[in-house]
Amino acid sequence: MNTSTRTTLALAAALALLGSPVQAQSPAPAMAMPQPVMDNGLFAHILLDQFEGRINGPNGELRWDGQGWIGTDYDKLWIKSEGFVTSDGKVEDGRHEFLYDRAISTYFDLQGGIRSDIDSHPTRNWAAFGVQGLAPLFFDLEATAYVSSGGHLAARMQGSYDLLITQRLILQPEAEINLYSKSDPARLVGAGFSDIDTGLRLRYEISRKFAPYIGVTYDGKFGQTGTFARNAGESANDVRFVVGIRSWY
Amino acid sequence: MRFSFRVLALSCAIAAFLSSSAVTAMAANQVPLGADLGGSGPVTARTGEGHPSGSRASGVLQLAHEGHADVHVTGTVNAVDPAQHKIKVSHNPIPAIGWPAMTMEFGVAPSVDLRGLKPGTRIDFTMEQAKGGMYEVQSVTPAGGAQ
Amino acid sequence: MKPRALLAGGPMLTRRRFVQGVAAIGLASLAPWPLRRALAAPGAEGVLRGTQFALAIEPVELAIGGRRAMATGVNGSVPAPTLIWQEGDSVTLAVTNRLSEPTSIHWHGVRTPSPMDGVPGLSFPGIAPGETFTYRFPVEQSGTYWYHSHTMFQEQTGLYGALVIKPRQGYAEPFDRDYVVLLSDWSDDPPETIISNLKQQSDYYNFRQRTLGTFLGDVNKDGFAKTVSDRLEWGEMRMSPTDILDVSGAAYTYLINGWGPDANWTALFKPGERIRLRFINGSSMSIFDVRIDGLPMTVVQADGNDVEPVAVDTFRISVAETYDVIVEPRDNRTYTLFVQAEDRTGYARGTLAPQAGMAAPIPPMDARPMRTMTDMGMGGMAGMSMDHGAMNHGGMDMGGAGAGGMNMSGMDMSTMKMTSEQKALDGQVGVDNVAMMPTQRLNRAGEGLPLKLRVLSYADLRALKRGVDPRPPSRTITLHLTGNMQRFMWGFDGKKFSESGPIELARNERVRFVLINDTMMEHPIHLHGLWSELENGQGEFRPYKHTINVKPGETLSYLVTADHPGRWAYHCHLLYHMEMGMFREVHVA
Repeated sequence: MNTSTRTTLALAAALALLGSPVQAQSPAPAMAMPQPVMDNGLFAHILLDQFEGRINGPNGELRWDGQGWIGTDYDKLWIKSEGFVTSDGKVEDGRHEFLYDRAISTYFDLQGGIRSDIDSHPTRNWAAFGVQGLAPLFFDLEATAYVSSGGHLAARMQGSYDLLITQRLILQPEAEINLYSKSDPARLVGAGFSDIDTGLRLRYEISRKFAPYIGVTYDGKFGQTGTFARNAGESANDVRFVVGIRSWY
Repeated sequence: MRFSFRVLALSCAIAAFLSSSAVTAMAANQVPLGADLGGSGPVTARTGEGHPSGSRASGVLQLAHEGHADVHVTGTVNAVDPAQHKIKVSHNPIPAIGWPAMTMEFGVAPSVDLRGLKPGTRIDFTMEQAKGGMYEVQSVTPAGGAQ
Repeated sequence: MKPRALLAGGPMLTRRRFVQGVAAIGLASLAPWPLRRALAAPGAEGVLRGTQFALAIEPVELAIGGRRAMATGVNGSVPAPTLIWQEGDSVTLAVTNRLSEPTSIHWHGVRTPSPMDGVPGLSFPGIAPGETFTYRFPVEQSGTYWYHSHTMFQEQTGLYGALVIKPRQGYAEPFDRDYVVLLSDWSDDPPETIISNLKQQSDYYNFRQRTLGTFLGDVNKDGFAKTVSDRLEWGEMRMSPTDILDVSGAAYTYLINGWGPDANWTALFKPGERIRLRFINGSSMSIFDVRIDGLPMTVVQADGNDVEPVAVDTFRISVAETYDVIVEPRDNRTYTLFVQAEDRTGYARGTLAPQAGMAAPIPPMDARPMRTMTDMGMGGMAGMSMDHGAMNHGGMDMGGAGAGGMNMSGMDMSTMKMTSEQKALDGQVGVDNVAMMPTQRLNRAGEGLPLKLRVLSYADLRALKRGVDPRPPSRTITLHLTGNMQRFMWGFDGKKFSESGPIELARNERVRFVLINDTMMEHPIHLHGLWSELENGQGEFRPYKHTINVKPGETLSYLVTADHPGRWAYHCHLLYHMEMGMFREVHVA
């Protein structure tokens, strides 16, 4: 089954589930009576959590990490995207996911769909399946597992926490780790525990929806991934100073 | 963001310029006045319908800041603490207030005699919320036994 | 949902109080008054009397706090004109919709025939743009009430007004003047933006959260271990004790009869007169604490029904409630009518004065309340550590947070299991908390009210007349008030309106409603068409209310006689809670 067929099927499945009746409504009287309250409305938001320049001397990078969703309380469609643009214009670590999201408990949602690694390296496509939500002590968590067309597995975990220094000054530690079952030399990815991208960002919320920030990030590549990076002339361990804007709409 | 600061700064300047004269002038002429709906009009004297003391002249009600319905509970005494005047009870669910079965300690009202209570005694008791929101035992009766 | 709800990224919020305090004086003195509303003369609040009324609902431009916005007005004004009816009359109200969207008017607390109740989807289809709907019904009750839109968020954008029904037999006690004091909240952000913001970030409007500064302050006061343990306890529940009102003064200007605090709405009196103030909370999301420093108030009516007079210094009025009070200012001086939002992020303010133009000092706002473990449904017990495994619930913990004076040590939690009712709710998508031990505390008004003042509580309300129906209830209907703050979903028994069916009552049945508030917020619960007789210990003189405020973690009960047929709305009157699912139909056959 090729990529486009799988993509189409995933899309169709998502849309079919979205279209299925999720409301139990009391029997409507004969006339076109509206509902007294419209409590299953559609909402949509986009969050650009990271949009920053990562600076470490001459090797600067632009980094983005964003998510968006549209849907109702129980069913949503999510889009996630992250990546780097290096100083020589290459796009690295591009990961884009398109997921159907179903609320399953008070704080957690189940997500399933597709992931496409699109950047300056060869494209890879995966089926994705995971959970996202708010863990006790207010940790935001995402944990997703992936299966590629070739039967390879991968996993990604991301967590963050908002520490309020003042009402508008917020310190956010954040970390994302990736694991792969098989190495992918064309994408400079090794098997096993592959990389960690972690940062400490201090943002000031001018408004809830617009917060410039500064911070420091550590980008580490381990094992085979580290080897690939060094062979390609890149550093396997980077500490960078970052400046960026966190915004949502 | 910068735009609204400019507007703010401008309005501050204008406000400062106008404030001394404008506010007092505004105060006298332009304060919004409530519309008086006219009062009660002539009042017909009548007895309060169904009122126990027969008339309003009995005065103003005291605020009922203590006392509402006692809660009735059945349970088993686990321990008695005469020094602190407390008992520890394993009690049944209390649907009247939505409580599940629990084992817990209660303060007991001074008027209740704890001497007859021993661990293992099955009791019916009432409790009421005292200051601070804690439930306090108001009366204790051996369950199913003589008064 | 209208497309407006999508991608409603509104304007950036600037600091409200800053704008209010500084720009208000400047810009307000520049803006010509006629822009404020169509009634050019200051103080000419629209008052309409009689039996025939024509009301036109139309967009109105409003200038509040220095900003101009479009509001939903009636006959060119916000609030809508005060209507004065006479008990015993039949009234006819032709309501014309000049908006570009449907509208409706509901007569809050008035027992009209069901098709005249004004709830689109239950009473009638609503009033289409351009249409005129004529309400016609007999008025068989008296008191202070109000009216407002029951369509979408029009209540938030200004469609609310006072309704005074004069008693057929006249008043039992005289008063020289009476004023409507209609309290409301006005937002810069359109309501669709507010709800969209809350769906993405439920604490969007809470700028009083606990910070590093608060942590260090608490460590200083209570010690490191106790502070850490308190933070862990609330954090494990994923709750914040600073959640008081979902939409705060960060978004709202609080109004008295449509006037912001700087406008200084004034009620005139002559010293020695008896003044009746008809307080109506016509806001969408704001619970207010009312007091007049230097002037005690005697509460004589609640929700349109007379009560035994109760002398108080302050009272809390929840959304949609009304309280009529008598004040007797003896001195030739000025009093500040001080109306604070419960979360202390803002206030509405008026003046009682012998002449126009006077103002008394505005007191500082009281300390902000914090939620306690009692509000979380822990029944006032604290100071215990707990075995999570034995507890068997969704990550909830009890601990020594907040409420002082708790000393229940030695409590063995291992035998505490959830009832099957509680277990069914726990962990559902729409439920973030189940009150393990809800408390009966009608004799307490709530957190944050000063202890040394006389505060009105529900237990103080004693009806002047004996209850009409002496029968005991034949059955009990228990409902949990539930919600999920993070998802901003609200409902009854864990379900939204769209996931539930109607509550069926037989004609003339007498039922007891028991409400258990599993959430940590107050909910003013309003039943259309039928009186709710609150069981507050006054026996046959229990008060007849249309809106009952259930405190966090509280349980209470009331009796209802289903004497009025129809499809009645039953809902939390916090507008965004109602629209997000906290709504039911009560059907009386």
